[in-house]
Amino acid sequence: MSAGPEGVSTERGITTPVVGAVDPILDAIDPDRGRPPHVMETRDLTLGFGAKAILSGVTAPFARGTITALIGPTGSGKTTFLRTLNRMNDKVRGFRREGSVLLDGESIWSTEQDLFTLRRRVGMLFQRPNPFPMSIRDNVVAGVRAHRIAKGKQLDVVAEQRLLEVGLWDAVKDRLGDSPFQLSGGQQQLLCLARALAIGPEVLLLDEPTSALDPVSTEFVEHLLLQMTPALSMVVVTHNLGQARRISHQTMFLYDGNLVEHGPTAQVFEHPVHTHTERYVTGRMG
Amino acid sequence: MAVIAEPDRSAIRRRRRREVAFRVSTLVTLALVVGPAAWILLGVVLRALPHWRWSVLVTPTQGAAGGLSNAILGTLALMAGVLVVAGTLGILAGVFLAELAPVTGRRWSVTGILRSATDVLAGVPSITLGFVGYLALVLALHWGYSLLPAILVLSVMVVPYIAKSTESALRQVPTSYREGAEALGMRQGYALRKVVLRSAIPGVATGLLIALAISSGETAPLLYTAGFTNTLPKVALIHHPVAYLTYPVWTFYDYPTPAAHYLAYDAALVLLVLVLVLLVAARLIVARTQRHADR
Amino acid sequence: MAILGGATGAAPPAPPVKAMRRASVARRIAAAGWAHESRIWKIGGWVAASVPLGSLVFILVVLGHKAWPSVVVNGTHFFTGSAWKPGSTYGTTVHTHGFAHPAGSSYGAWPLIAGTLQTSIIAVVLAVPISLGAAFALTERLPGWLSRPLAFAVEILAGIPSVIIGLWGVLTLGPFLAQDVYPVIADHMPDVPVLSYFRNPVGHGEGLLTTGLVLGLMIIPIITATTRDLFLQVPPLPKEGGLALGMTDAEVARRVTLPWVRSGIIGATVLGLGRALGETMAVAMISGAALNTISPNIFGTMGTIAAAIVTQLDSSFTDGTGFATSALAEAAVVLVAITILANALARVVIARSARHGMPVGRGG
Repeated sequence: MSAGPEGVSTERGITTPVVGAVDPILDAIDPDRGRPPHVMETRDLTLGFGAKAILSGVTAPFARGTITALIGPTGSGKTTFLRTLNRMNDKVRGFRREGSVLLDGESIWSTEQDLFTLRRRVGMLFQRPNPFPMSIRDNVVAGVRAHRIAKGKQLDVVAEQRLLEVGLWDAVKDRLGDSPFQLSGGQQQLLCLARALAIGPEVLLLDEPTSALDPVSTEFVEHLLLQMTPALSMVVVTHNLGQARRISHQTMFLYDGNLVEHGPTAQVFEHPVHTHTERYVTGRMG
Repeated sequence: MAVIAEPDRSAIRRRRRREVAFRVSTLVTLALVVGPAAWILLGVVLRALPHWRWSVLVTPTQGAAGGLSNAILGTLALMAGVLVVAGTLGILAGVFLAELAPVTGRRWSVTGILRSATDVLAGVPSITLGFVGYLALVLALHWGYSLLPAILVLSVMVVPYIAKSTESALRQVPTSYREGAEALGMRQGYALRKVVLRSAIPGVATGLLIALAISSGETAPLLYTAGFTNTLPKVALIHHPVAYLTYPVWTFYDYPTPAAHYLAYDAALVLLVLVLVLLVAARLIVARTQRHADR
Repeated sequence: MAILGGATGAAPPAPPVKAMRRASVARRIAAAGWAHESRIWKIGGWVAASVPLGSLVFILVVLGHKAWPSVVVNGTHFFTGSAWKPGSTYGTTVHTHGFAHPAGSSYGAWPLIAGTLQTSIIAVVLAVPISLGAAFALTERLPGWLSRPLAFAVEILAGIPSVIIGLWGVLTLGPFLAQDVYPVIADHMPDVPVLSYFRNPVGHGEGLLTTGLVLGLMIIPIITATTRDLFLQVPPLPKEGGLALGMTDAEVARRVTLPWVRSGIIGATVLGLGRALGETMAVAMISGAALNTISPNIFGTMGTIAAAIVTQLDSSFTDGTGFATSALAEAAVVLVAITILANALARVVIARSARHGMPVGRGG
C-alpha cells in the first residue's frame, strides 16, 4: 500500500521531516529507537460539550508511520476527536473530557507538556485552506519563526525545502513575496501543508483536507500524503470513502458517539465485523 | 535538515512569559478604558446629586442661577429639527449611495466624489461648521442667533453619519429580497419603500438615535448660532435665540458663584441622562433585531 | 442592485386607463405620484447625496472668503509667527495690500498649530495601544456575558458630550494629576535632553499633557469600538491555523489577527486623530486656552486652533475692520486642511498596506 521510506526520499530528493533527534547518527539509522510503538494513543476517551455527549470510551492506538482514516456519518464526533488530539478543543466553551490521550507514552494534558510544543509535534491541516495575511514565504515559515527554531537566511532554506516537498516551489518561486490569497484553492491548501510540515511535526492531523479541492488537486494531495509515510504519522478525517481506502493503512469507524470498528483498512472495508460499518462502507447509510 | 533546531528551554520560557504579559496587558488596557468612563459618569452624578432640586427641570435660567427648563426645551426643539432635516437628507443620501447611485467601474465617478465628500465632511471639526454658520447664516443672512441656523449647522454635522449608517443598514439587506420584489414585478421605488427600506429600519433608526445623541451633546456649533436666552423657546425659526443644555455647563462652571456651579453640574447631569437614554434605546434596537436575525 | 440601477431615466408606464377613470381626482394625483415614485426617490437621493459636497464647498468658500485678508496681510508669517496680536482695535486703522486692519495687528498661529499637533499626537500614541489591547480583551479574552456590557460601556464613553468630559477634566482629573501624579514624574526625571521635557514646573493640571490624556480618552472608544468590530470579522480558521502551529495567543494576535485588519485599524486611528485635531470644548476647558504659548515642558498651558476659535470668536468682533475674525477664519481653514490631509495620508497608507488583499479595508 505505501511506498518504502528510502524510495520516497531518494526519488523526491528531499529529507524526511522527522525531528526531535537526540543522537543524529543513531536516529538516522532508526529514528524510532526506544519509542513506544504507538505514536499516539487514546484511552477510554470520552468527550462532550456541556450536557451534550460527543464520544464515549474511545480506546485507539495510532501506529507510528501509518495513516489512519477516521470515517463515519456527519455528527459522529470525528472532528471533535481529531481536534482533541492537539488540544484545539481545550478553549472551546463547555468542552469536557475524560480518559487520556498519550503522545509517545505521555499524556498530552500532563503538566510536563508545553501546549505550544505539543502542537509543534502534532500538526494540523484544516478542511479549508487558511493562509495567514502575510507573504507566501512568510506563511511557510510562520510556525518556524514562532517556535524560534530557525532564523535569518535559514528561513529561506526552510521555505524552499518545504515548498519543494509539497510540489509548490515551481509555481511560486518567482512570487514568494506575494499574497497567498491569489493562489488557487488547491495551491493554498498545499501552502498550508508546507506550513504545517515546516515545524517538523511527528503527527499530522488532517480534517477533511481535500473536501474543498477539485479532483486533480485531491489526487495530488493524496499522493503527497502517501509519500510522507512512514516518516510522518497521520490521522485523516474524511467523508470520502474512496479516499480512505486509497490512502489509509488503518480505518476507524465512528458511529453515534462510539468507536464501532477499528482495524486495517482492507479488513474494515472488505470484511466489516459490524453491520453498521458494513452499511456505511457500502453506501447504504450516511 | 540542519536548519531546524530544537527550541531550547529558555526560548519556551520566554514565549510563555510573553504570553502571560500579553494576556495581563489586554485586561489592564480594558480597565484603562472602562475605568475612566465610570469615573466620569460618577464624577458628574456625585457633583450634581447633593444639590439636586427637581424644580431645575421646570424653572428657566435666571442670570447664572435658576433652572434649566429653557435649555431642556431648546435642546428638544433642536433635536426635533435635526431629526426632520438631517433625518430626511441623511436617509435619502444613504438610500442613494446604497441603492440608486449609478455603478461605474471608474475611479472618479460622480458617486465616488459624492461619497468621498461625505467622508471628508464627517471629519470636519464642528467648530468650523459653527463658525461658517455664524458668518453666513447669523450675520450675512441677518437671521441672528436663532433656531434655524443652529438646526442647519447641526444637520450638516450629522448628515454624513446618518447617510453612512443608512447605507450600511441597506447593504445588509439580502439581495434575495430585492430579487424577490423584482420577480413580483414591483417598481423600483415601490420595492425600495415596501421591501428594502422596511427591513433596514432597525439599522436606520439606530443611526438616527446616535446622531441625535451626538447633536444633543454638541456645544461648539451652537455657541455662535443658537446664542442663549433665559426665556423658553419661541415658535420662531429666526431672530430669536434658543437655549440648550451644553451652554450652562460650558459657561457657568468657572463662574464665581456656587449657584452657577450647581447649574453647570445639573445641566451636565440632565444632558448625560438624555444622551444615555438615546444610546440605550439604540442598543435595545440592535439587541432586538439581532435576536430575530437568523445567524 | 441590478433592478434598481436599471430604470435610469425611463419613465414608468402610466396606470391603466380604466382604473384612472374610476379614481377620484385626489386618488389620481396620488396614483400619479406613486407612478413616479422611482423617479422621486432618485431625484431626492441625488439632491440629498449632494448635500455633503455642497456643504463642503460652501464651508470652504465662506471661510476662504473671510480668511483672504489675513492670508494676504499675514502671509507665511501666519505659519511661522508665534504672536497672536490683535493690535490696537480702538486706535488707527492701517492698510496693507489694500486690506484694512488695526495698527500693530499681526497674527502668527504657530503655537496653535503646534499645540493642535502635539495634543493630537499624544492622544493617538496613548490611544492606539490601549484600544487594541482593550479590543483584544473584549473579543478574545472575556466571555460574552462580560464583554457585551463592557463593550456598551465603551460606546457610552464615546457618547459622553465633550463639554462634560471637559468639565470632569478641569475639575477632577486635572487637579488630581497636578497634585498626585505629575510631581512624582517631574521630580524623578533626570535633567537630560528629551527627558528634561518632563521636569518641573507641573502647573495646575491645565496644559499639554492633561489635554493629550483627555483627548486620548475621548478617541479610545472610537478606536476600540471599531477595532472590536474588525476583530469580530476575522474568520476563525486562520486564527485556528496559527494555534494549531503552536503559536501563542499573542503570536496569533500579532501575526494573523492584526495584519488581517490592518487597514481598518489605520482607518480607525485616523478617525480618532481627526476627532482629536478638531476637539474644541474639552480642549478649551483643559488646555489653558493660551494663544501665544508653546509649552516649555509637557505640563504647561497651551492652546489649539479649535480652542482658539471658540474662545476668540466673540472678542474678535471688537476689531471693527474684521481682521481678527479673518485671522480666525484662516486658522479654521488650516484646521480643516490638516484633518483632510490626515485622512488623505491614511488612504495612501491603507492602499499600500492592503498588498495582501485582506477582505476588510473600508476603514470602519
